Amino acid sequence: MQLSFRSGNLRLRLTLWYGMAFSILLLLHIGVATYVHYRQLIAQAFHAANEETETVEGLMYQTSDGRVSLKEDYFNHPEIRLRLDRLFEMLSPDGTILYRNSQLRGTELGGPPLPGEGVTSYNERTVRLSDGRKVLVVSHFHLLNGRPIILRLAFDEAPLLASVMRFFSVLLLLAPITVMVAVAVVYRVTSGALSPLSNMVRRAERITAERLSERLPVHDETDDLGHAARVFNGLLQRLEDSFCQLKRFTSDASHELRTPLASLRSIGEVSLQKGHSNEEYREVIASMLEEVRRLTQLVDSLLAISRADSGQMTLHLSSFSCMDLIHEVVSVVGILAEDKHQVIRMVGSEEIAVRADRGILRQAILNLVDNAIKYSPEHSEILIEVRKTPDELAEVSIVDQGPGIPVDEQTRIFDRFYRTDQGRSRGQGGTGLGLSIAKWAVEVHSGSIGVQPAECGGSSFFVRLPLNA
Amino acid sequence: MQILIVEDESKLAYALQQGLQEEGYAATVALSGEDALRWFERTTPDLVLLDVMLSKRNGLSVLREFRRDGFQTPVLLLTALDSVEDRVLGLDAGADDYLVKPFAFPELLARVRALLRRTATTPQATLDLADLHMNLAGRTAARDGVALELTSREFDLLEYLMLNRGRVVSREMLTRDVWKETMRYTSLDNVIDVQVARLRRKIDDPFDVKLLHTVRGIGFVLREE
Repeated sequence: MQLSFRSGNLRLRLTLWYGMAFSILLLLHIGVATYVHYRQLIAQAFHAANEETETVEGLMYQTSDGRVSLKEDYFNHPEIRLRLDRLFEMLSPDGTILYRNSQLRGTELGGPPLPGEGVTSYNERTVRLSDGRKVLVVSHFHLLNGRPIILRLAFDEAPLLASVMRFFSVLLLLAPITVMVAVAVVYRVTSGALSPLSNMVRRAERITAERLSERLPVHDETDDLGHAARVFNGLLQRLEDSFCQLKRFTSDASHELRTPLASLRSIGEVSLQKGHSNEEYREVIASMLEEVRRLTQLVDSLLAISRADSGQMTLHLSSFSCMDLIHEVVSVVGILAEDKHQVIRMVGSEEIAVRADRGILRQAILNLVDNAIKYSPEHSEILIEVRKTPDELAEVSIVDQGPGIPVDEQTRIFDRFYRTDQGRSRGQGGTGLGLSIAKWAVEVHSGSIGVQPAECGGSSFFVRLPLNA
Repeated sequence: MQILIVEDESKLAYALQQGLQEEGYAATVALSGEDALRWFERTTPDLVLLDVMLSKRNGLSVLREFRRDGFQTPVLLLTALDSVEDRVLGLDAGADDYLVKPFAFPELLARVRALLRRTATTPQATLDLADLHMNLAGRTAARDGVALELTSREFDLLEYLMLNRGRVVSREMLTRDVWKETMRYTSLDNVIDVQVARLRRKIDDPFDVKLLHTVRGIGFVLREE
């Protein structure tokens, strides 16, 4: 319940964040647009004013009393008619006012002439008139019948600003509507996108140790949530595998522990049912001790495995030659091969070395060679080969001429307590943990272990380890 | 020789007591650490067998107190904990040796003997049992004057059995002391059985008097019967 609330909360938070970011961006956008619009209007106005000065220049004439006036048809010009708000001022370079139009209402437009005013350019500038109006002024230097005249033409900024403000307020009024629509759309889209998450959460709540086989629904393989679901399902798969393995291990272990206990108990109880001779009692006790020894070995192996599982084992690393280790192992178990008239052939370079805990790795090789001897027939050959693989690994392979291992059992034989049909009889001895201990011993050194069919029909076990560089 | 057994598992304690008494030692049982410390006040044993996981008071704390009081008596720890760290902890507390449960009784006897004679051990140059003679320096062995052709491992095995002649040695002892295998879970039982059978073929088969005997359920013994 709490989880689904959280997912709703996330939706709301996402929408709010989006709404905020969108509003800020929109305001920024409106501001920039208004400013650009304003600049453009100003530029247009100056451009128009410049064109008009040229028109005005053509209409200027000198009156007989030496003043300057404009021909009347200027005001009849159709475009000009629309711009009767223009302000003119004409003055001579010494500052004498020659002409002022009525729009100026007697105020002066920009005061005395500036040095070089209107000579090089149109001198675009903004001027505040004495009556408070703000106007945009262009100046032009003109020779009328050889007489120098400075022509100033200005227009009021107010209508232009009003137009800009209208533009701005329209945009601003539309903004909340835009934001609301966008937020609504985003809320819908996020809800849609997050609904698989709610489904996943609901499903995940149902998954318990007893229902580890449940998986999260994957709506779309390609999107992020689908990816997350697949990753999570992978995790569940691994959990389920280890859980099953643990269950199997526990049931196997209890089987393996109970069997010798059952023997112990039966042997003891049966022998106490009737009186027996001393010799018979000795026999019974010896038989019980054999079972105890088997139990002890099993418990020792189980302890070693559980210590390995919990990572309590510290590795004492050293560098050594693989061949050296093999010689050592063969010097111990070789006698078993001799007893079965088997030949152990060792091939490979002494040079190939690894860095590992010698004692632990020795255990792995010992178990493999011991198995090879155990399952190979008499008078056969066991080949132990050390070589360097193309991908720079040290590989030890142990090839026997035994019955081989069926393909479907090739990975399972490394499971704890797994026994092949041939190995199932206890006559062969062992705890059923040898190969799983070997597997652990190799993997703890970042190596790999496996088995493949040998050419001659037996099995070829291999151990691959990083070379000692 | 007086041995004090400090062990709260009474079945084990009395079994050890009986076993040690049968070997000619005077053995006493203390079922708790407090009992043991009270016992020390009256008399000092020649050797202490001390269980680490005592129910009330930890064996190691008993050992530390014992050592703090200045007792030099050798102490053999008996424990179900066999990690390297536990071993170091025990030896640091002042133990002289360490034996992991479940142990073979012959092994306990061997450790007890080793601790008791720690002061005076003279390496022997030759070993003899009946007409079997071993020259340890020259690594030769002969029976009834006939030289025995032994492999190196067979010689080591025979030497170990000879050093313990008359006493049963367990497979665990052979695994550790002759094959020098340190991993407790490594089982070399098959190897040992085959090796013993071979040794027997060489030292016993050609002769009427058999010396190397298998004690079923425990191990092997070299003795004249």
